[in-house]
Amino acid sequence: MTPDTLFQIASPLAMAGWLLLAFAPLAPRWADTLAGFILPALLSLLYTGVILGHWWQGQGGFDSLANVMALLSNPWMALAGWVHFLAFDLFIGGWITRRARTEGVSHLLVLPCLLLTFLFGPIGLILFLSNAATRRLLHPLRSEV
Amino acid sequence: MSDISLSSVPRAPAPPRLIPQLFGAEPRFAALGLLLALAMIPTALAMTLDPRQFQAEAIWLKPLKFELALSLYLLSLAFFARFLPPGMTDRRGYRIFAGVVIFCVLAEMAWIGGAAMFGTASHFNLTDPVMGAIYSLMGLFAVTLTSASLVYGIAIWRHPAGLPDPALRLSVALGLGLTFVLTVLVAGYMAGQPGHLVGTPVTGAKVPLMGWSREVGDLRLPHFLATHAMHVIPLAGLLVGLLAGRMRSSRLAIWSVWAASAGFVALTLGSFALAIMGLPAFAL
Repeated sequence: MTPDTLFQIASPLAMAGWLLLAFAPLAPRWADTLAGFILPALLSLLYTGVILGHWWQGQGGFDSLANVMALLSNPWMALAGWVHFLAFDLFIGGWITRRARTEGVSHLLVLPCLLLTFLFGPIGLILFLSNAATRRLLHPLRSEV
Repeated sequence: MSDISLSSVPRAPAPPRLIPQLFGAEPRFAALGLLLALAMIPTALAMTLDPRQFQAEAIWLKPLKFELALSLYLLSLAFFARFLPPGMTDRRGYRIFAGVVIFCVLAEMAWIGGAAMFGTASHFNLTDPVMGAIYSLMGLFAVTLTSASLVYGIAIWRHPAGLPDPALRLSVALGLGLTFVLTVLVAGYMAGQPGHLVGTPVTGAKVPLMGWSREVGDLRLPHFLATHAMHVIPLAGLLVGLLAGRMRSSRLAIWSVWAASAGFVALTLGSFALAIMGLPAFAL
């Protein structure tokens, strides 16, 4: 098993999850179970395996940007870092989808947040959180219910 | 008294909060206005991190200015929405219109922000057919989003119960209507020019903060005045009401509002004429 093979396996897994989230109103149970739970869990298991098996060969560390770059210059560590992105971004996407549903937010407003979380993780999260903050500012009573 | 008391006495209603009180009459515009205000934070951060310049300005300055301007515009509309006929914002036709306006605002911001990100011009960009076509489309969007002020002005004028003081109502309706008419006039002319500056030589002398040229004509000054009619004229109406005191429904108050509006239109058109002639309004 090479890091490239695992990369080729991980990316479609995440992609499937994002598609489920995009169409979540059609199949909310599937979105919540698969995209919100099982797929992030699978990606996290993959991450755990990569770290257990290859952490020993990592160079560098977390104490400076140069050391983080040295760590990620190893293909196994770069793969781990990428799977980390995939797992956590998808998990956030699932959280956004569920949170929006309980708050009664239209899926049309959720889609841009999901797209941005898929492409640029934190930008999608901050957009969703900003939307939520705006709702709270405008409807303080409703959000306290 | 403890919070965990089991008394069945109904709790006093929570005091109304400032933001819903100010902008709650049109939550759609208010939400986008607040969102654009929040977006200024990462935009300002990008401006400090990105050293690129465009026409001797930080490249992110323009998106930052548009976020501020559109946020203020939307929050102002949300504020004025309290004077609309009851139920108007729930009507289907209005909801579609508001959705179109919101779409136009988002499209303008995506275009201006995207152009900054890729280091190119948004307005006046005719370098290739695609950017030229987008520029024309954005002009249409800009007129559409500005038309909300005209719609509000007419609806408020036709609903005397919403704002019983006739002078104040006239000032709000005129201000909103003039924002549309004057902005479309000035910005429409500007869009047909090669840029916002008229004349040479441009060495870079500017009015502090506002950035208008102090050497040549700058069409952004009349645009600024035109668009702020919706703030200046209602403020004049408020002032007239305060000065007129008990006689506030008098014809004098109405005429004062008309006079203030005429003066403001003259000021806007005067600065427009100066800019067209290539003359700075604020010389050295």
